[in-house]
Amino acid sequence: MVAAPFRYQRAASFEEAVAALAEHGEDAKLLAGGQSLVPMLNLRVARPEWLIDLNPVGAGPVAEAGGVLRLPALTRHRVLESDGLVRRRCPLLAEAASLVGNVRTRARGTIGGSLAHADPAGELPLAALTLGAEVSVLGPAGARDLLVDELLISYLTTALAPDEVITEVRVPAPRPRQGWSFLELTRRTSDWMVAGAAALVELDERGTVAAASLAFGGVAERPVAAPAELLGGLYGEPPAEQRFARVADLAAATLRPEDDVHASGTYRRRVAGVLGRRALNQAAIRARASGETP
Amino acid sequence: MTDGDKQRVSFTVNGEAREAWVFPHESLLDVLRDAGCHEVRYGCGEGVCGTCTVLLDGEPVSACLLFAVQAEGCSLLTVRGLAQGAAQPGEPHPLQASFLRNGAAQCGFCTPGMLLTAWALLRREPHPTRERIRRELCGNLCRCTGYSKILDAIEDCRQP
Amino acid sequence: MTETTVPTREGYRIVGRSPAHHDFADKVAGSLLYAADWQLPGMLHGKVVRAQVPSARITAMDVSAARALPGVVAVLTAADVPWNQIVEHASGGLGELAVAMPVLAADRVRYQGEPVALIAAVSPQAAEEAAELIDVDYQDLPGVFEVEAALEPGAPLVHDEGNLLVTWNIGGDAAEVDAAMAAADLVVEGAYRTQRVEHAYLEPEAGVGWVETGGIITLRVATQVIEHAGAIAAILGLPANQVRVISSYMGGGFGGKEDMTVEPYLALLVWHTRRPVRLVFERQESLLATTKRHPFVMRYRTGVRRDGTIVAQDVDIVGDAGAYPYLSARVLFAACVCASGPYRVPMVRHRARAVFTNTPPTSAFRGFGAMQVTFAYEQQLDRVAAALGLDPVAVRERNFLAKGDAIPTGERLDTAVAVGECVRRALDALGEPPRPSGPGRRVGRGFAANMQPYGRTMWFRDRAACWLSLEADGSLQLRSGVTDLGGGQAASLAQIVSEILGVPLGEIGVHIGDTALTPPAGGTFATRQLYMSGNAALAAARELRARLLPVAAALLGTAEDDLVFEDGMVRPPGGSRGLRLAELAAACHQRGVPTSHLGTWYAPTGAFDPASGQGSSFPDYTFGAHAADVEVDLETGQTRVLSYAAAHDVGRAINPLRVEGQIQGGAYQGIGYALGEEIVLADGNATSTLLANYLMPNAVDLPDVRVVVLESGEGKGPFGARGIGEPSIANAAATIANAVAAATGARVTQLPITPERLLGALDALAVETDTVEGGPHAS
Repeated sequence: MVAAPFRYQRAASFEEAVAALAEHGEDAKLLAGGQSLVPMLNLRVARPEWLIDLNPVGAGPVAEAGGVLRLPALTRHRVLESDGLVRRRCPLLAEAASLVGNVRTRARGTIGGSLAHADPAGELPLAALTLGAEVSVLGPAGARDLLVDELLISYLTTALAPDEVITEVRVPAPRPRQGWSFLELTRRTSDWMVAGAAALVELDERGTVAAASLAFGGVAERPVAAPAELLGGLYGEPPAEQRFARVADLAAATLRPEDDVHASGTYRRRVAGVLGRRALNQAAIRARASGETP
Repeated sequence: MTDGDKQRVSFTVNGEAREAWVFPHESLLDVLRDAGCHEVRYGCGEGVCGTCTVLLDGEPVSACLLFAVQAEGCSLLTVRGLAQGAAQPGEPHPLQASFLRNGAAQCGFCTPGMLLTAWALLRREPHPTRERIRRELCGNLCRCTGYSKILDAIEDCRQP
Repeated sequence: MTETTVPTREGYRIVGRSPAHHDFADKVAGSLLYAADWQLPGMLHGKVVRAQVPSARITAMDVSAARALPGVVAVLTAADVPWNQIVEHASGGLGELAVAMPVLAADRVRYQGEPVALIAAVSPQAAEEAAELIDVDYQDLPGVFEVEAALEPGAPLVHDEGNLLVTWNIGGDAAEVDAAMAAADLVVEGAYRTQRVEHAYLEPEAGVGWVETGGIITLRVATQVIEHAGAIAAILGLPANQVRVISSYMGGGFGGKEDMTVEPYLALLVWHTRRPVRLVFERQESLLATTKRHPFVMRYRTGVRRDGTIVAQDVDIVGDAGAYPYLSARVLFAACVCASGPYRVPMVRHRARAVFTNTPPTSAFRGFGAMQVTFAYEQQLDRVAAALGLDPVAVRERNFLAKGDAIPTGERLDTAVAVGECVRRALDALGEPPRPSGPGRRVGRGFAANMQPYGRTMWFRDRAACWLSLEADGSLQLRSGVTDLGGGQAASLAQIVSEILGVPLGEIGVHIGDTALTPPAGGTFATRQLYMSGNAALAAARELRARLLPVAAALLGTAEDDLVFEDGMVRPPGGSRGLRLAELAAACHQRGVPTSHLGTWYAPTGAFDPASGQGSSFPDYTFGAHAADVEVDLETGQTRVLSYAAAHDVGRAINPLRVEGQIQGGAYQGIGYALGEEIVLADGNATSTLLANYLMPNAVDLPDVRVVVLESGEGKGPFGARGIGEPSIANAAATIANAVAAATGARVTQLPITPERLLGALDALAVETDTVEGGPHAS
């Protein structure tokens, strides 16, 4: 087993990477953590002519400013799962990162790489979508910002132009009385999810639901958010498992997952509903707990 | 590709400086094996099985998912470097001794990767629970032992 | 010759202890050289080019571009193979369809992944590129991918000779069995399906070959069977002594390195290029195309009396042989013999057939046919218990085989049958039943007993040899053709020899697995090496000891019977004076007494009559039982194994730590088989060849396996040992299926027990309990 030959260029900055992409066009691929790309190269499923290595760019520390957590694109999963700030201020993301692959995957994999790879069964795209995260993107024409919801298009497909690179991921900091949950069902621990659900639930001072978000992974060509009008039905009501179940089941019923080697689409849809309910419920419980211990 | 496309890469393996001329598409795994580090093993090329685990600047990585050119300037540790941490020259490292004592290897093919992953964990967290050790090892597959004796050996080596 | 008195159990010096052996220390140090680790000057890199379709005619093949590629030294096709056949006589001439297995497909492809060409190049990169340049034109032919379809009249033929490879019948005729069923108080019917799985040893198939002095084609490969040297020589058109096979210590085998893997291809490339060649199968290639475990379709009818006594059992088994025979005939024989398990059944009818399909060949895999049937017969008995309202343990206790009982072949068991004790001890080891971890979750306990043969079928007239040499310095050389899968096959021989000759383990040089230099041991499979080579080593050690004794007795002025061999010395009992083995060796030299000895051990043999289904099957059986607590998530169908225990009567544990390891490892593979592992094909095409998609359990997915080692002392191996390599894998699937049924009432009869399948069974159960009333003939 050996990858097909390619030319290799180290990029010391995002600007250098963009310049290289602009020069080589679609014949070039960016290499970040490489935990998804390199198996494809080894198996000769992907055969770029150029590999532009982003790793020399490096990642500065995770920072919080203006109610936003700022994550350099090359922040590795290992940092996401263990960094004190991320664990405290964005536990959903830390939890999602801890479920990615194995220790070696997490030692190398990066958040920018995960989002750009856009695996529909990936943990980080699901987490980023649920959190309402935003990415900064650099291209030859300059920088632009995209919501993750706008970034993710389909299976291994994003809104990035061939000469664009993600430079930063920004996640809104949690609100008071907000709880979270990230659940996935895998056939084997550490594998790709058969289905996943992530949720945020915010309670008001009376303890009724003020806001909620829910998204599913592994059940469509990209992670999908539950329709806002469904979640809206929860607002102003006390958190109750039956209501969560109804919302999750209705949301899951809109999904049309495909069959694969690990599960049928029918099973995935059914389990998405179960996980959705559990996620909303767990998020509400955590929201209540966070309200009790400010 | 001709030899002119080769690039020079230098790194250390178990503290020893190494230099090689490699094609960009050559994996770190293949380059290490060609250099005589046969204890780093091919098992899948997907980063799944863990037999090619090496520590790259202290972190366990899959050598099959890194190109050798990416290891420029890095320090690599294989299982044969582990014994450098033994009390006496020629003695096994305490973790290796614990594997021997607990019968934690059968065919031995996964053993170097297991040892390195476990060692990296113990260095970061000297008192992991059995469940914690399980999670950390879930990317190192073993087909012979059922893992119990491997877990026993690592627990047996936790700092008191 | 003086027969050494077998030491009492307490009297053992080294048997029953667990020293860390030579190979073990090397493995933990990382210094052991596996098959792919060998490097030679000027070595080429081999590659096998494989068919991409499951059933086709090859209409044209163009290798000219590949041959012309710089760096490519050889491209070989069927036309370049002197004798394009792999020979296998798996049924020993007892009625198997004769079908040729080509080394390289010439005009017909019968499974996806079948080898069609070979490449040797100066680099792996050049070999890859050459493979991409080989142009094969396939004309698709109708294929057949499931055994039921293959048995239909008019089904597409995998081989012109037919789709039915072999049929085995054991027991009475249909009318007698039907009469017994009619007289039964209850007949439980069940249908069970098992899946295609992969050995998935961590070490892919690999080897290095070169030409030795004298033109000897020499292969150092990961193989369980160096005796394939003869078949390799035949393919090359050479005399058998012109091919030498050396086995490296393997990174696991489990039966997957019992048939030839890289050997014929490697040999052809070496023979053709006259240069050293390395050939390593890629993992994805191994998943795609190497041999697998047989999927079984099993139909059972079990007739019982009201008290749970079995009166009759009717079993029909169809095993999927894949596209070529390999060892399928023998696997289905083992299934046919063991189909009723460790139970007394007065009236049986077992039929087992192996059927060709256009899928990767199936062959040996730990458990070897005796495994799949456990999934069926142990669920049948739980169903009997449920239908009669009896305790499942009580039902088994009413029917367990005992020493002296006949099994379906008519043979009487002549060693201990501790299966009942195994069941009790495994259940006891689980402790208190757990409680569900939350709402919507149920827990349940299940168990399964089994019997698994060790040793080859008796009509193969098995034997093994071992050659010992006492060196001038008192150290010992042990030479044996044994191959070592990683289970300590070589190390246990050293331990046995050390017990008899008193040479410390560290002073025994162990040389194994070389057709040129070690005496034949017959391959490591069928859980036969402790039995066969263990007995050979024991015989060789005793015979050598007997030869040394008179010399030692004369020198020490003591009676022979009083002498003790220990710590590298020969001593009178209790005496401090003694003779160092080096001194004894020197004295032997002086007196012209040889200090080396070749011992050969012949296993008892027998005959089997395929017409009556009666006769000799296997030398002996190992009995055991596993038990587990599981928790099922009723909403997702996920099953988590909470605790697991395994008990086997191993006769005598030569190295208890290794025995425990074998049992834990077998249970682990069995749990993977029960819950996750499957090679999924769609019309003969692999759905995935990624290891990432092959769900063998990792460290998180398994509980610790608690092991109970029973030692009846009545095995037929050395010191009363029984084989334990294979037996521990068989119980897990039925154990877990029974535990799931105990937890939920839902019974999954198809492996693996996926969350989705279990959810389906739970749904069906809900429907059934709503609408159907149970009758006395429950199924």
